[in-house]
Amino acid sequence: MGFTTVNQITLKNFRCFRNEEGIRLAPLTLLVGENSTGKTSFLAMIRALWDVAYIKRDPDFKEDPYDLGSFSDIVHYRGSRDPLPIPTTFEAGLDIVPQFVTENNEQPKNLPRFNFKVVFEKRGAVSNLSQMRLSSGDVWGEYMSNKDGHWQARFGTKQGTWNANHRLIGKASSNDDAIWNFNYWLFSGPNTKEHISTEPIDPQGANSPDSSDWEKITKLFSNFSTLTHSPFHERAYASAPVRSKPHRTYDPARTIRDPEGDHIPMYLADMYLQDKGQWVALKKALEEFGQNSGLFDDITINYLGEHEGGPFQVYIRKHHLRKYEGNKKGIIKGPHRNLIDVGYGVSQALPIIMELLRPDASPIFLFQQPEVHLHPSAQAALGSLFCEIASTKRQLIIETHSDHLINRVRMDIRDRKKIQFTKTQLKPEDVSILFFERGDLDVKIHSLRIDDDGNILNAPQNYRSFFLEETKRSLGL
Amino acid sequence: MCAIIDSNSVHEVFGENRHQTGEKFFDWLCGKKGKGRLVVGGKLRGELHRGSQGFRGMAEELYASGKLRHISDEKVDAEMNKLDEQGLCNSDDSHIIALARVTGARLLYSNDKDLKDDFTNHNLINGPRGKVYSTRYMRNGNEVIKKYDRSAHGGLLKNPDMCCP
Repeated sequence: MGFTTVNQITLKNFRCFRNEEGIRLAPLTLLVGENSTGKTSFLAMIRALWDVAYIKRDPDFKEDPYDLGSFSDIVHYRGSRDPLPIPTTFEAGLDIVPQFVTENNEQPKNLPRFNFKVVFEKRGAVSNLSQMRLSSGDVWGEYMSNKDGHWQARFGTKQGTWNANHRLIGKASSNDDAIWNFNYWLFSGPNTKEHISTEPIDPQGANSPDSSDWEKITKLFSNFSTLTHSPFHERAYASAPVRSKPHRTYDPARTIRDPEGDHIPMYLADMYLQDKGQWVALKKALEEFGQNSGLFDDITINYLGEHEGGPFQVYIRKHHLRKYEGNKKGIIKGPHRNLIDVGYGVSQALPIIMELLRPDASPIFLFQQPEVHLHPSAQAALGSLFCEIASTKRQLIIETHSDHLINRVRMDIRDRKKIQFTKTQLKPEDVSILFFERGDLDVKIHSLRIDDDGNILNAPQNYRSFFLEETKRSLGL
Repeated sequence: MCAIIDSNSVHEVFGENRHQTGEKFFDWLCGKKGKGRLVVGGKLRGELHRGSQGFRGMAEELYASGKLRHISDEKVDAEMNKLDEQGLCNSDDSHIIALARVTGARLLYSNDKDLKDDFTNHNLINGPRGKVYSTRYMRNGNEVIKKYDRSAHGGLLKNPDMCCP
């Protein structure tokens, strides 16, 4: 089976990032750094890129849980003394790598790597998509908006660069049209040549593409199309930093994914009624995490009405260990409690773990502080769950302030061969820690790695300098 | 740059009343502009934890900051056993020589004469050779504390060739 991993991101003139290239993303990426260093903006741009590349959708920088504001709020601020003019565009790109696993659990060599870049320009107050570009090595194709708002396709190889007019593609009257046109162009890769007339852009290059140029561009387009048109791809699940408050009783509602997790109780109730087999599997997975984290041992749905359309409640139960005389121990089952009557951490964590464990989970997760309201032991358990999920072909990009979560990830990687400690198969190279460090007006992103022994590699001098100073002070050193 | 601290000297770096030479090493490791890193593994891990309360207190944060690297005991012990079988070390600190060989750390903070000889023995540690940051020497049979020497001590801490690979 084939799927893709986004393994690098580039940001230019976007929010606090002047020009950040080659930022390494991995199956599990942890974003760390002080407040207001652009971690949430970083997540917002990944969702935008994912939307264009995989979902074929015009990105919305004001859609929950991210509201980045108007173009002037999004474009990089250089300060009044910067000699360079205020940028009129901002851009971002993803490096996408196909992940094919053979029967021997090996990855074939020489798989193509793609770079997918988008550019946004100012149109009125908003940020408007103005260019999409796909490249691999020295072969590229792009679709860009002219000054008069018309879209033009272009492509190039080592031999030359050409404007392309596709006879079957009409004019784009909206960005969604443009994205559709670009993807039609990519998708019709094998038939591209017969429908396209070309004119050279570079007078030094070849006047028209030859058969090897057509072969290269066709291969680029069709390979990328095959990967990104897979039904496996859904929208990134982006969670809000604070999830919705629990209710004593829920009325039936829609189960459309929501950043605050409003859909979770209904999703659980729906599955409880509609698909007993999947409900049992999901309940088991949720309870396993509940036990590992100490949050709960049992979760169930209580329907109040006589039919499926009636209101329902979410109940959880926590068991206790009791010691008897003679060192004997036994489990005392606790009472069923309404979700609203237990600690806030449970309802805050439930949307995160639910989305990770549901059978139709998104291929990519963008979480903001999943650890909020959780006890350190539950934060650590969340780290283990992330390692486990990231080793099952899901990509997790997580903004966190939790040392407990990060330390657990490091330990799980170190102890991955000792099955009694961890179920993860994640390797050190499958984890990236991105440290966001504030400069004057810019933020620099440092890519940190961890090694086989769980050590942090490539840490810059300022990484955790606050914590070091606090520790020194507390020890009087 | 990576260094190893011998347990007999750890109090000079992480103790309360350290002198300037130890303090410079501490700043190199834990200061705001510090570029140093420590490697710990095998028998030395327990020795350091027992040897200094200050080290115990700092170790977790240094590890989290990437300034202290834990090397698995299996790797270090295997190398130590190899050295012991070959009988190449004169000191009784083959675990420290093993740690240097496994990690590539080439700077040692120690005042143990035999260990210093082993650490600078190119038959044991090479590519590059090991260097020793010491704070004491013997004069007329008495141990004398060295003053901080910007050229010698400072030069060692600035030497970029003593890195882990």
